[in-house]
Amino acid sequence: MSDQSIKSRPVYQSLAMDLSGLRHLLVSDSPAYRFEAPPDREVEVWFVAAPDQEGRIPPSGTVRERGFRSPRHLIDRLDHRLAQERMGLRLYVSGTEGFLWDVFNTAQRAGMTRQEIFQCQSGTQARRVACVHCRTFNHGVTTTIVRCDGCGANLFVRDHFSRRLSAFMGVKIDAEVAGEVPPAEQAYS
Amino acid sequence: MGIQFKTDETFRDDFSYRNSDAAILRFPFPFGEDKYMYSVNIEPHGKAGGSPAFDHAFDVDEHYVAECRERAIVLDHDPKRCQVLPHMMPAEWDTLELLMESLSTDYPEHFSLTRDGTAWHWINRPLGLDRRFVFGDASTLPCGPFEYITRQAQGDFTLQDQRDDNLYVDGGMVTTQADWSLEFDIGMSFHEWHGPVPLAHEIGVFDRALQYLLRLQYGHPVRRLNWTMTINPRLDTSPENYPDWGPDRTTVTAENIAGKLHLRVELQTLFRLPRSNAILFGIRCYLISLQDIERVEKWRKRLHRVLATLPPELVEYKGLTRFHHMAVSRLAAMDDGAPLSLGIQPDQARLPA
Ligand code: HEM
Repeated sequence: MSDQSIKSRPVYQSLAMDLSGLRHLLVSDSPAYRFEAPPDREVEVWFVAAPDQEGRIPPSGTVRERGFRSPRHLIDRLDHRLAQERMGLRLYVSGTEGFLWDVFNTAQRAGMTRQEIFQCQSGTQARRVACVHCRTFNHGVTTTIVRCDGCGANLFVRDHFSRRLSAFMGVKIDAEVAGEVPPAEQAYS
Repeated sequence: MGIQFKTDETFRDDFSYRNSDAAILRFPFPFGEDKYMYSVNIEPHGKAGGSPAFDHAFDVDEHYVAECRERAIVLDHDPKRCQVLPHMMPAEWDTLELLMESLSTDYPEHFSLTRDGTAWHWINRPLGLDRRFVFGDASTLPCGPFEYITRQAQGDFTLQDQRDDNLYVDGGMVTTQADWSLEFDIGMSFHEWHGPVPLAHEIGVFDRALQYLLRLQYGHPVRRLNWTMTINPRLDTSPENYPDWGPDRTTVTAENIAGKLHLRVELQTLFRLPRSNAILFGIRCYLISLQDIERVEKWRKRLHRVLATLPPELVEYKGLTRFHHMAVSRLAAMDDGAPLSLGIQPDQARLPA
């Protein structure tokens, strides 16, 4: 399989404030994010604590900052928040690719449009891989071939990305001749 | 008299699918020239064009009943092969109307539709269905309107929503596909779902095809042919089930290739839908064995030339690598190199025994 460049995956930009917005919310899956807002604008920041916090919610520096235990914790709260939002919100997302699209899909379900959401990839390049055969998600994949958590097949990680699933496609590499599995290479980290 | 349906055929297990002589001669052979490369090969969907398979909006042939049964088997194993995003309900009804109107007009001996306002009466004789329902009220059908009618049609269908100067594949009935997954691709834009295709992006095929489709007019459907090759007459070559059909590719030998190797042609049709402004994409799959192609002199010679010169990227993408050379060397022995007529028509009215 000779997949070339990844047409189904967007090219991510760095974040800049969209001045047409009335309220601005940045969500990040780590405490280290970069965002520069003009001094006269306010940005609310939601971030996920570093794993060494082990479930403690980190104290926030300012009233405009708020910490969460995990990406899941943050997104659940975001779901609730967006249900109460009105027009004019701009959502900025910083983090790993899986997080970017989990947030994006949550925001779209809440009625936000593509034009109101901005994404910047940061942190690990590890991939989330959806097994096309059994539909199990395999997380944090850094190699070209991964054994599926669900069905046990050795999956080749194709360069085909679904924003809806927030995942790359995994296809059994030795489906034609059982056992013909080349060594996995370290590729995304 | 109508079509004689081969009701017992299978596309799995014992693979009893066969084409009659008449079905071979009407096959939509995809090669009008001796070389093949991707292009924006879109033309109006009308009667001319070299195959009777183009005569009607939706072609029904001798495999109709067996293909509908095969579809039901696939859906029973994996209901997600049919999915439509909720905002596409108007396009679902548009599809139902288009298919029912076309089938009952083109094949009145097999299908009938009677409309009295929104009270519709549909009869499908080959499948033994007789249904009264209210157009626009999904609760009067056993399932969604798109699923209901595409369970009664040959070939796959997808629904494209048009917005932001793009097309989004926001629904489909996909049980007879050449190795792509609706569950993975649903919601993608035109260039995203075509992402894995080699070479075509670089030569601008998808940019131009999208521009063409954005301007597609109601009442002026278009079509194109696409092709690949499949081992055994298997309709469900989905990526989902690749662990089950992948091993077939290793079973081809010089002795059995003529019976096992099938040319798989997709007659792809595109219709603008009237109320939703969505586009219905029909992907009607035809299978023909190599030994049946060989009975048509022009086709066996042309297939040889196309395969022998096929760009290596296409050989790999279409999954032909393991048997391509065997097919080429077998066909080479039957090709004297004489010039062939342009176009896809078989140039003979009868087949040798
Ligand atoms: C609008 C409806 C259409 C849909 C839903 C559709 C869908 C697809 C899909 C899912 C694939 C397989 C990609 C993969 O490997 O995952 C494909 C392949 C392809 N499509 Fe389309 N397509 C559409 C229209 C067109 C049009 C209008 C063209 C015109 C040029 C086109 C040209 C191609 C080509 C050249 C391939 C590669 C096929 C092969 O080598 O077997 N498609 N399409």
